[in-house]
Amino acid sequence: MAETEQTPIVGQVLRASTVGFVCGTRSQQIEHPAFGAFVRTRQDSAADLDVIGVIHAISIDDDPLVRQMILANNMTQATIRDQRENRLVPLEISVLNVGYIQGGRIYQTLPPRPPLSLDPVLLCDAPTVARFTARLDFLRLVLNASDVPTEQLLAAVLKFAAAARPDAERRAFLVEAGRLLAGLLSQDLPRLQHLLQLIRPA
Amino acid sequence: MTTRDPLFPETDSLDDWFPRGAHSTPAAPGAGQRLGVVVGGSLSRGLDIKLDPQATIEDLAVGRYVVVRGRSKRFFCMITDVLLDATNPAIRSDPPDLGDAFLRDVYSGTAAFGTVHVAPMLSIDEGSDEPKPVRTIPSHFTAVEIASAQDVDDVFGQEDATHFHVGAPLELEDTRVHLDLRRLVERSVGIFGKSGTGKSFLTRILLAGVIKNDAAVTLIFDMHNDYGWAVKTEDGPQAKGLKQLFGGRVVIFTLDDEATRRRGASYDHEVTIGYDEIEPEDLAMLKTTLDLSDAMIDAAYELHKVWGRGWIGQLINADAEALEALKAQLAASFVSVLALKRRVQRFERYGFLKPHAAEDSARRILEYIESRKNVVLEFGRYGNALDAYILVANYLTRRIHQMYVERVEKALGDTALEPPQLLITIEEAHKFLDPQIARQTIFGTIARELRKYNVTLLIVDQRPSGIDEEVMSQIGTRVTALLDNERDIAAVLTGVSGAGGLREVIARLDTRQQALIMGHAVPMPVVVKTRTYDTEFYASVSSASTQDAPKLSVTPSDPESRRLR
Repeated sequence: MAETEQTPIVGQVLRASTVGFVCGTRSQQIEHPAFGAFVRTRQDSAADLDVIGVIHAISIDDDPLVRQMILANNMTQATIRDQRENRLVPLEISVLNVGYIQGGRIYQTLPPRPPLSLDPVLLCDAPTVARFTARLDFLRLVLNASDVPTEQLLAAVLKFAAAARPDAERRAFLVEAGRLLAGLLSQDLPRLQHLLQLIRPA
Repeated sequence: MTTRDPLFPETDSLDDWFPRGAHSTPAAPGAGQRLGVVVGGSLSRGLDIKLDPQATIEDLAVGRYVVVRGRSKRFFCMITDVLLDATNPAIRSDPPDLGDAFLRDVYSGTAAFGTVHVAPMLSIDEGSDEPKPVRTIPSHFTAVEIASAQDVDDVFGQEDATHFHVGAPLELEDTRVHLDLRRLVERSVGIFGKSGTGKSFLTRILLAGVIKNDAAVTLIFDMHNDYGWAVKTEDGPQAKGLKQLFGGRVVIFTLDDEATRRRGASYDHEVTIGYDEIEPEDLAMLKTTLDLSDAMIDAAYELHKVWGRGWIGQLINADAEALEALKAQLAASFVSVLALKRRVQRFERYGFLKPHAAEDSARRILEYIESRKNVVLEFGRYGNALDAYILVANYLTRRIHQMYVERVEKALGDTALEPPQLLITIEEAHKFLDPQIARQTIFGTIARELRKYNVTLLIVDQRPSGIDEEVMSQIGTRVTALLDNERDIAAVLTGVSGAGGLREVIARLDTRQQALIMGHAVPMPVVVKTRTYDTEFYASVSSASTQDAPKLSVTPSDPESRRLR
């Protein structure tokens, strides 16, 4: 599970629980993370617990300065840039935990402990995503998460997972995921149909 | 933090953590012929099998064999029903658009799936090759496979002196189903099927097997001249008769030498029956076909008492004066006598009925049977006259049976002295075994008393529902081509365990060359595509018959010749 050095850092853990965590970052680093992307924390080697999650919300909170600026007239481009780059409040990226890596193995369940604050949060590279999504038991975690737009999140997650695979395997992967969802959602057909429409390959 | 949590096993294999399930591991191509898993059922009602997504429901016809591989047993089952099921009934009201290939791949086998219902028939313990009747069922979620050729061979054995190849199971055309001929002739056999389903070809194949392996001697009442000499098949070319296949081992008797000669067939003997040999019991058999009332039959018994053996001849020839004289002697209604006279006058049309027969045909037939020759009695144009067929078959069988009973009783259990096993073939059997007359007729007696006297029946019929239930229950082996009448199907399945599932199988057979065989001669019910009656078949039975030829020269008194081989 060696990460390549180029893996972009998404941010650092702001607050966390076993269910999920929020990481903060500067607003200009917003190009990398995306809704539904897989991220992982990296702790120091002594801790041996890397949490894997999916981004389910990215939010930009206001701060006192931006409130005043909105009321002010004649804002220059420089002011706007300054406000964005030197905000007092970080951009918040909310992550739902879907598994963890311990002792070099992948577990698709909630981590035993949350990550610690200021742990770095990295975007998973394609091999990691492909390996993690070789099993799809985490779909249930996503489906049952509260306060999360589950259908949209699941669809985005599966599209990321498919994109991490070679072209030839993408459709088969989505079919397999669809079949699993058909089993999980057999009692909620409208939701299943909506989800399948979201993930069906073009 | 570095110590591993004891809850998690010391394994690095992903599979240990996530056992491979149907969801995420599509079966490797060619991974056996796995069909699905057992999800429920009972011994009495059969098992429910949920099909794997990759199993094509359209390929699973009823009647096919599947094998459930349990922990210590192999269970042989037959598919008796195929169903479509869904995890959520609501999907019926809002079906997904399966025109979309993605949706089709997702839905089929998951939210909507196929189920087959199978009837467990036999089980074979691991390490054993002896099939046993099922007394238990496999546990939940046991894998189910289409039966392989090896499985079929394990059940139906190999062709040998007592096993005869009759066809192949459905969809397994390179394997063979073998009938146990010894068991076949041990009890009565029924061949059923509506007309045009190949009953007579089926019968010919079975008879050829019986004759070839010398399992029994046969006496065939050949109503439509189907068995002795060549007949035209429905496709055009001629099919060989038993005489052409087995030469000297088959003797043809005819009731109508003219018709036999006209067909270019040869015959060995002509049968004639004297009026003086017909007894009132023989007339009683004809009650329905000749439309005789009870009073007329009473009159027949009385006339027999008054006039003795020649009573029919006398009745036919009686003039007004003789009748007047009779009137005083009889207790029975004289009107019945006159009505009976009109009925029996029809006998004058039958050339084979003579005032007095030159030779005793029954005895002649019996002599052939004793020397292990098979006898085909052709009816020629009389085959279309049901009363002639019934009269002759009943008359001869009664005589032969009587002699058999005497011989067997005389032998006192010494098998060497007993006459050979005799298989009597009758067509339109429901006319003989009608519930109203089955108790009185000789055929009813033979069917009921089983093998006690070494005589069994092979009945060919298209209306099994017309056959007496008690007789039906005594039929050991039933070979059934397509039947579509509910009552006929129910009649064929009388006394068969697990019959419910077979009902669908019988009603769905092809109209040609397909038959369900069940009962005494097969370890489990099986739907076969029967062998083609062609040159290959001729060669396979004739070569064996020439090998057997020396055995036939032994005299009937030789005990060896009597023992079934």
